[in-house]
Amino acid sequence: MIEFGIEFVPRDLYWKTTFYSIQAEKIGFDYLWITDHFNNRNVYVSLAIISAYTERIKFGPGVTNPYLVHPVVTAQAVATLNEIAPGRVVCGLGVGDKITLQMVNIEQTKPLATIKESVQIIREISSGKPLEMQGEIFKITGAKLNFRVANTVPVYVGAQGPKMLALAAEIGDGVLINASHSKDVETAMKFICEGAERANKKLDDLRISAYTSFSIASDYEKAFKAVVPVVAYIVSGSPEMILERHEISVELARKIGESLVHGQWKEAFSHVNNDMVEAFSICGTPETCVEKIAKLAKVGVNQIVAGSPIGPNMRKSINMIATEVFPHFKE
Amino acid sequence: MAMEKIARKIPASLWNEASEKLVDMVLNSSNASKMPSDLAKTILYYWQRDQLATEVGLQRLLEASMLLEPEKTISLMEELGLLEIVAMLKETPRQ
Repeated sequence: MIEFGIEFVPRDLYWKTTFYSIQAEKIGFDYLWITDHFNNRNVYVSLAIISAYTERIKFGPGVTNPYLVHPVVTAQAVATLNEIAPGRVVCGLGVGDKITLQMVNIEQTKPLATIKESVQIIREISSGKPLEMQGEIFKITGAKLNFRVANTVPVYVGAQGPKMLALAAEIGDGVLINASHSKDVETAMKFICEGAERANKKLDDLRISAYTSFSIASDYEKAFKAVVPVVAYIVSGSPEMILERHEISVELARKIGESLVHGQWKEAFSHVNNDMVEAFSICGTPETCVEKIAKLAKVGVNQIVAGSPIGPNMRKSINMIATEVFPHFKE
Repeated sequence: MAMEKIARKIPASLWNEASEKLVDMVLNSSNASKMPSDLAKTILYYWQRDQLATEVGLQRLLEASMLLEPEKTISLMEELGLLEIVAMLKETPRQ
């Protein structure tokens, strides 16, 4: 059976994010992911208050990155959350958002080694074990938490490129594929299979999630309008290979990127067209969304994450997912 | 105390509708940052327990909506035909 996750960006006031999180739990979402960017509200503070107002839903950073936050600190944070909400915490880890990291002059160097070592550090330390590591990136000499830990925290790795997808499947408990279209997920699955094989894992043992940009409304135009800003960023950051797969003009994508860099939002958003929205989001009426989710499930994902913006009206869109999408996939 | 009295005047048949519309108003308000944290946490407490469409829940939602959107709150009560409440809200000191 397919599971559903939802992503919130703590750019909103804490009580709004918490309100929507309670709503997400009530209507049956299985996972809740909170994004981690230094310029939004803090992910762990947000998760701590959400944990106090929810009882069942699993949650975690979606995703944090080891460039800005040292993995021992991530391990400490998720282990502390796990004390507040035992067995409900997951940890999403990825290389982070390039634009945000550039603001603090951090480069995403050696991403594969960095993620690989970070997963090991987070897994060992958050399980309460002592760790010594002389890695290529991290040197750890006898680190251990000073408090007892009851449960282990599953680590999900966010990935898009072939090597990172394979690594994610090899070392992660789950893979968060940055994609909304079945073509991209189908391609990603090949690398995920390779990685799983390398680690002698069965695909069934892995949680494989399509981390989508999602916008649902009864009126397509409203759903489209809400998703345009998110798609603009995705298009501008997409490698040529992916743009070409969807027959999207590389030149237009670069034009959008330049406008975004210069803060010319109106100009950037005006270039976002139907093909881009189709390629990089699940957007539209409930029927369209159901159709696209079904295609993703068919190519092998077992979790759909409804990511930003969710819809033109957050509360109504969350309810619409419950009443018009879940019945097609949940018992 | 004033808002408690006002909330009591909302007939039970309108609790769901009033609660839904007040929640939307508060969540979508451009003045949302004016919400006091204590009041926000009280609303979250009632929301978690499915008690926003009750007298106590409505009392808190009215407190919030009158802080964030006083004119729209009064219009909503008019729309719901709650004219006595409209009069009471108009007399409530604004913050």
